[in-house]
Amino acid sequence: MSSISALANIHLLGKFGDQEGKKENDLIKISEIKNLLIVQIVQYKSSTISPDKINIDSLSFVNEPLKVICNDNTRILWNSPKNWFLISTKKELLNNILSTFKETDFAITDLSHSRAIIEMEGKDAIEVLKKGCPFNFNILKKNNSINSSYNSIAFTLDIINDNPNRLRLFALRSFGESLYHSITDASLEFGYKSI
Amino acid sequence: MLYINCPHCGMRSQNEFSYGGDASVKRPELGKEVSDQEWNNFVYNRKSLRGKHWELWQHLFGCRQWIKVERDTATHEIFSTLKANEEIS
Repeated sequence: MSSISALANIHLLGKFGDQEGKKENDLIKISEIKNLLIVQIVQYKSSTISPDKINIDSLSFVNEPLKVICNDNTRILWNSPKNWFLISTKKELLNNILSTFKETDFAITDLSHSRAIIEMEGKDAIEVLKKGCPFNFNILKKNNSINSSYNSIAFTLDIINDNPNRLRLFALRSFGESLYHSITDASLEFGYKSI
Repeated sequence: MLYINCPHCGMRSQNEFSYGGDASVKRPELGKEVSDQEWNNFVYNRKSLRGKHWELWQHLFGCRQWIKVERDTATHEIFSTLKANEEIS
């Protein structure tokens, strides 16, 4: 089932902000991402299984802050100790996950329909984040992720690429429109293109 | 801006945390006879120290874990942090 857009009412296509006279490549590109599988995987405290021995889509689970383990289709984000987000374009992975993780050791929750996802691309994308998030972005690299707040809205940031910057922001679906407003307002100074 | 070193995530802004009270308070032992005064002390009575103090904080916008923070209540300087299950030495 394809997911219903969380940002359909506010995501207007076009160029906005200080974009006149700027090259297309210098503008921040903002888009909404839909139809991703988002699964939260939490290992119970009583569980003694080593998560790095578990394999999903040829990826293992690493209990290390900031770390994202990924391939072309799937990304596993460290969320907190023994807690991961699995983001994938392969929707059929859910059955694989449910059969691989024993329910006596892990809690599996499908969050695919409860997140709004904004993707930003461009050299000034990090500058936009700095305007509302207190995190020190100088330490972040490609394939890092953090949980933090943007103008007091809780969000998860996934750095897909750092040259050029390509970032994904995940927020609770009900906060998606507020986060979108905050991000696009902060992007006006640099000029952005909604795609 | 005040920064707190989360033992799980690393150095983060205090904006991401929520204060959770005195970390040195211990619940009376389970099954033990507890006087009204002991229970009162556990639930309500708190010292308002000036100086170094162990506090509970929750990393609400990050890993959502509870941690212990040793903070100077006069200067706000933070000396050390521990995971919630680690004992204060």
